[in-house]
Amino acid sequence: MNPNWNCVTSGARAFTKVMCLALLVLLPGTFLSSTIMAASDEAELLFVRRIQPLLNEKCLSCHGNDESDVQGGLDLRSLSTVLEGGDQEKPVIVPGRPDDSPIYHAILRNHGVWRPMPPKEADKLDAEQIGWVKHWIAGGAPWPDRERAQSIANANAVTWSAEDGIVVKTTGALSHEWANRRYKPEGLWSYQPVRKPAVQHSSDENPIDALITLRMPKGLNVAPAADARTFIRQAAFDLTGLPPLPDDITEFEKSFAADADEAVRALVDRLLESPHYGERMGQHWLDVTRYADSSGFANDYERGNAWRYRDYVIRAFNSDKPYDQFVKEQIAGDELEPEKSEAIVATGFLRMGPWELTGMEVAKIARQRFLDDVTNSVGETFLAHSLQCARCHDHKFDPIPTHDYYAMQAVFATTQLCEGSAAFLQGENKEGFEERQYLEMIAEEHQATLAKLDAVLLENAQKWFNEKGLDSAQWMAAVEAAKQLDSTKKNNRKDYADLFAAARNSLLKKGVPENEFPPKLVGFTIDQFGAERVARKGYERLKWQLDRYEPFALAVYSGRTVSMKSVLSPIRIPKNRLTEGDLEESCIHVGGDPFSEGPKVKPGVLSVLDPTLQVSIPEGIEGRRLALADWIANKNNPLTTRAIANRIWMWHFGEPIAGNPNNFGSTGKRPTHPELLDWLAATFVEQTWSFKAMHRVIMTSDAYRRSSKHSNVESLKEKDPTGSSFAVFKPRRLSAEELRDAMLFATAELNPMVGGIPNRPEINSEAAMQPRQVMGTFAAAWVPNPKPAQRNRRSIYALKLRGLNDPAMEVFNAPSPDFSCERREASVVTPQVFAMFNSKASHARALAMANRVVNESQRDNAHGDDAHSAQAAIALCFELVLGRPPHAHELKACIEHWREVESTLPDKPTVDNKPPLEVRREAVEENTGERFSFIERLHANADFVPDLQAADVAVHPRALAEVCLVLFNSNEFAYVY
Amino acid sequence: MSTEVPQSPSRRGFVQSLGTSLGSIAFASMLLADDKANPLVAKPGHLPAKAKNVIFLMMEGGPSHIDTFDPKPELAKQHLKEFTRNGKQKSAMESGARYYVKSPFTFRKHGQSGADMADNWTHLAKVADDLCFFRGCQVDSVNHPTAMYQMNCGNRFGGDPGIGAWVCYGLGSINEDLPGFIVLPEVSYPQGGPANWSNGYLPANFQGTPLRPKGSPILDLTPPEGVSRELQRKNLDLITKLNQLHLAEHPEHEELSARMENYELAFRMQMQVPETLDLSNESAATHEGYGIGNAATDAFGRKCLLARKLIEKGVRFVQLYNGSWDSHDYIERAHGNLVRAVDQPIAALITDLKQRGLLESTLIVWCGEFGRTPDNGVRGGTAYGRDHNPSAMTIWMAGGGCNAGHTIGATDELGMSAVEEVHHVRDFHVTLLRLLGLDDNKLTYYHAGRFKQLSQFGGTVIKELIGET
Repeated sequence: MNPNWNCVTSGARAFTKVMCLALLVLLPGTFLSSTIMAASDEAELLFVRRIQPLLNEKCLSCHGNDESDVQGGLDLRSLSTVLEGGDQEKPVIVPGRPDDSPIYHAILRNHGVWRPMPPKEADKLDAEQIGWVKHWIAGGAPWPDRERAQSIANANAVTWSAEDGIVVKTTGALSHEWANRRYKPEGLWSYQPVRKPAVQHSSDENPIDALITLRMPKGLNVAPAADARTFIRQAAFDLTGLPPLPDDITEFEKSFAADADEAVRALVDRLLESPHYGERMGQHWLDVTRYADSSGFANDYERGNAWRYRDYVIRAFNSDKPYDQFVKEQIAGDELEPEKSEAIVATGFLRMGPWELTGMEVAKIARQRFLDDVTNSVGETFLAHSLQCARCHDHKFDPIPTHDYYAMQAVFATTQLCEGSAAFLQGENKEGFEERQYLEMIAEEHQATLAKLDAVLLENAQKWFNEKGLDSAQWMAAVEAAKQLDSTKKNNRKDYADLFAAARNSLLKKGVPENEFPPKLVGFTIDQFGAERVARKGYERLKWQLDRYEPFALAVYSGRTVSMKSVLSPIRIPKNRLTEGDLEESCIHVGGDPFSEGPKVKPGVLSVLDPTLQVSIPEGIEGRRLALADWIANKNNPLTTRAIANRIWMWHFGEPIAGNPNNFGSTGKRPTHPELLDWLAATFVEQTWSFKAMHRVIMTSDAYRRSSKHSNVESLKEKDPTGSSFAVFKPRRLSAEELRDAMLFATAELNPMVGGIPNRPEINSEAAMQPRQVMGTFAAAWVPNPKPAQRNRRSIYALKLRGLNDPAMEVFNAPSPDFSCERREASVVTPQVFAMFNSKASHARALAMANRVVNESQRDNAHGDDAHSAQAAIALCFELVLGRPPHAHELKACIEHWREVESTLPDKPTVDNKPPLEVRREAVEENTGERFSFIERLHANADFVPDLQAADVAVHPRALAEVCLVLFNSNEFAYVY
Repeated sequence: MSTEVPQSPSRRGFVQSLGTSLGSIAFASMLLADDKANPLVAKPGHLPAKAKNVIFLMMEGGPSHIDTFDPKPELAKQHLKEFTRNGKQKSAMESGARYYVKSPFTFRKHGQSGADMADNWTHLAKVADDLCFFRGCQVDSVNHPTAMYQMNCGNRFGGDPGIGAWVCYGLGSINEDLPGFIVLPEVSYPQGGPANWSNGYLPANFQGTPLRPKGSPILDLTPPEGVSRELQRKNLDLITKLNQLHLAEHPEHEELSARMENYELAFRMQMQVPETLDLSNESAATHEGYGIGNAATDAFGRKCLLARKLIEKGVRFVQLYNGSWDSHDYIERAHGNLVRAVDQPIAALITDLKQRGLLESTLIVWCGEFGRTPDNGVRGGTAYGRDHNPSAMTIWMAGGGCNAGHTIGATDELGMSAVEEVHHVRDFHVTLLRLLGLDDNKLTYYHAGRFKQLSQFGGTVIKELIGET
């Protein structure tokens, strides 16, 4: 059946002959010709040095490692099974004759019958590897046993390690071969201790520049320094995500002319003090940690408390919290300072992955999903290692045995999810909590609906008895009993009416036959079926949202694992967390299967790192994460310090030094400037893990201050084809958030308030109303905040639902929280045009800016003529959007456009519709398979105050709005240089 | 570098970048100068192909194989027999007191092939010999969104590219003026949302473009009311003028020209997309054939007809959603209505494609994310429905080189688990790619440290499904 080794040639006799020869070769003590002997010697060495590792890396995952599932029955772990040949019963190696050996044809990948191996194109053997196999087979395909192989390896260790790389000591490898495989030293760069290079630099030279010069391609000149305007725009966006104010630009130009170095230093200091600094850096961090305000998957429940973690991150950057502390708090804040809300809120980091447990999921699998997620996330975020590759097997490329994966995971075996109590801090923004009134209105509606439907059911029940001609006395008594229970509030199982269900359940419990009382949801119409489900599930969903205004945190606690069937509301920390439930015993899950228990493992860390770093992690319930956090935040942990230094660098240059900030393993890109990376990592630690100190060092370097214009583009392309020399500053397209925020900034609509509950800006109205299924019901519509100041906040504060992304953000590459985003993309795709040129939001910004500009320019030119005033208006537009005055021809073109448009615009513009107060939802009802509809009320829309309306603006500024729209759509606006 | 804005870009330029509608990125990419670098240009697969296009009918919620295409007479004997099931490997839904439920539907064999079909598939029965039924497929997840992700993207946890994205990545577009991967969702998006048609880690060009059944098919395709096309053109001219000046100052910056051409493309698309989607030029007979105008079949009939039009225009992969088939409580009523909604439109689609000579090159797939159990859990009393079942389901295919007229694989006598020709869904994915001439082992993309593929870890072609032995 399995086609992998499907051979149709019929050379059985020929095979037999060769087989005899093969056996002769391999039997010790038989008479062999000296030529074969010599070849065999060489081939034997080749086997130990090359072929065995190749088999391990390329073949055994399908052909032997999993004895229960050997592809094609072909086991490549021993010569005898190779000669048996698996299901085909034909040897796949003919010793001495590579051209007759199926395995050789398979690796050549061009045979008509023998399928290419390894199957995956990306895994194919290179020419050198194919050569090894050929020579080994030609040399008789010797296959020494393990003992002999080991003695050969030992005898040659010195020569080989000089030539082939080194063996890395790790713990608990699944196989001897894996444990002894060799690594090219250059692929192990990230595990080496950080060595701060001794930099040869003059006193006025920034060490960064000396280290960049060290790697500068010969003969390549660097670009000159950027001018003041270009620099301040770049620096302001880099540190705050916002453009500079026109006055700040003028001011900076002056001081830059006087003393450029001093001006740059002062500017950086000023920007670092801005509260928007934390928002900008926070966004970078939240990209990596996958921040979202909802849980994803079937329910996509809102995580009402997630915003407190987001604000924690912003505060941490603004207060320049030392990174080692930042790391420890996010991994183990609750263990570090159990009494401090700040520390508890920080553990929200561990909750950032999508997660839920519904009654339809196997609880153990859901638990394992959390453990896998958190293990990998800690690896990617802090250690630049995607650990999931070691979940099912020892890592294919890196010295991470699967044992280490489960040892790291064991740290979290006592980590439990909770929305735990955490009092609000002084510094937390609690504005806008009154919006809960809208949620309470919906809750009341759902209760009313359920009460009404309960009454319908009770009535239908009566009809049912009448129709069946059955006695309803028993039923009536049950209903009456339920009523009694309800009035004494003993039935606070649910806080809505469900007498019908309660009565049924009591009869069921008593063992009354089901045909003696009415069935579930008796006599419902299609719409009633739907309405019941929508109200019941909708009420359940509100619990998550209402948690937003309460002193709870999206967090974790250390404790035993309590068995759960489903999680339908926020989880509080149980009182007996240390005594009730299972104490999870961690083990290797063979093949990654949570039900396949392998050897037990103790909590631990990555064994590849310098053993002097090793810590002992407690095996009790508490303190495991704290010990792990201490190990990660150890100043000598080279992964931690390099990972963060690399990120900081990328946040300034767009390009990291090591190309995959989440992957320092051998498949990730090597650092282009290893000395620089180590210098940054060491300096970061020396400067007490201070981000702000690093910004100061980096931003005052010549490299950062370089222009994006190079005097010799040809030479640049030729000498630096990969663009990694930092000889020139690379233009960067603004991120989705920067584009939106910069527009709001230019119109003066931006509410600069820092922190607080997530807001709901206006998004495309069709996207806002797009119905989406969640488990058993439909998620609520996106209802914008009623007041402009609430809506027009910085984009980092917008509610982030996994099931509903703001399309305008998404088209500009705002990352999905499904994966950690190590680096933003900046693609050019057509929907960006629709979002920027056609959307209501862009038109609204253009109008607001035009209105602002006309007002300001008229005020400033109260005595000037119209022409003068128009010029001033256009000039201000340029300053606000592009950070520079217009050139003469630009000014002329814009004024002409303004005039022309003004002559064609109607006096009375179309008036925007008021937002709807309700929306009719249509869907297929699960019980009936029929279409039904229901009304969703949009309460906040009743208080909706629109942004500036065209109808409220005179035709003159309305026409200018078209110029503003043009500027927002210009290429220049979208980039910093 | 030229600072000229191309005035009449090639035809391929148009909708190369037709975007997406809700919550999604786009398929259009950098408008690169030469076709070699254009990821959307049609390219040959790795192997000879039987199918060129796919129409994927996704019956979201999990249709019951037992009540549609896999009759279980033995189940009638066990009807209402109670038992319990527990264990750590079971979800709450699967555990506890349970009882068997016989199918309320009667079955007959249809066509020369003798295909088993429930009697309410009156239209589909007429094309029974065009179908290839597969009863051997299994998935890993018992929960909707994770099973949906696995069926649609190969990976249970979302974030990976959809099959349509992989296919377009492998084969490019036939008509470069339209997106290669179009999704026709229900009015409400399924559980798991747009991640079901994501481009994942593949370039944004390959993302599924949902054409919304109501409202504007693509978000912000047109400007707000009151903005005339003339005014837009004038604005665009001024943008161009400013951009040209800027480009002259930054000749080193290669993205600038691409962004400029992008605006011209978008401007033309505003006109052309609505034309492409217009069904009104189809005959009344065609409308009637697809059940358009009939309340029960109208919605899915429109989707099927639009799918045919899109395929004709060269769209590579069209995915249609219908649901929810999650009939936990009243299988007779719910499945009855669901079958009624899709039966006639699907049969019309198959017949129509056949008449136009397109069925051979178009693979149609019908499936859900899993099948259903022969039993139901006692949840507040007895109800004749079924729970989720990842161990057994029916998938059928038509056209596109599938082994029509055969039923491959079998489930046990109660329909609880596949027992013959049992394959993980990854093998089904590999087979689907093979019909399109794609080798799953070659169709890989490097991401997060390894070469990823639709099947995740590689799989086997199910030869019986493509008529090879």
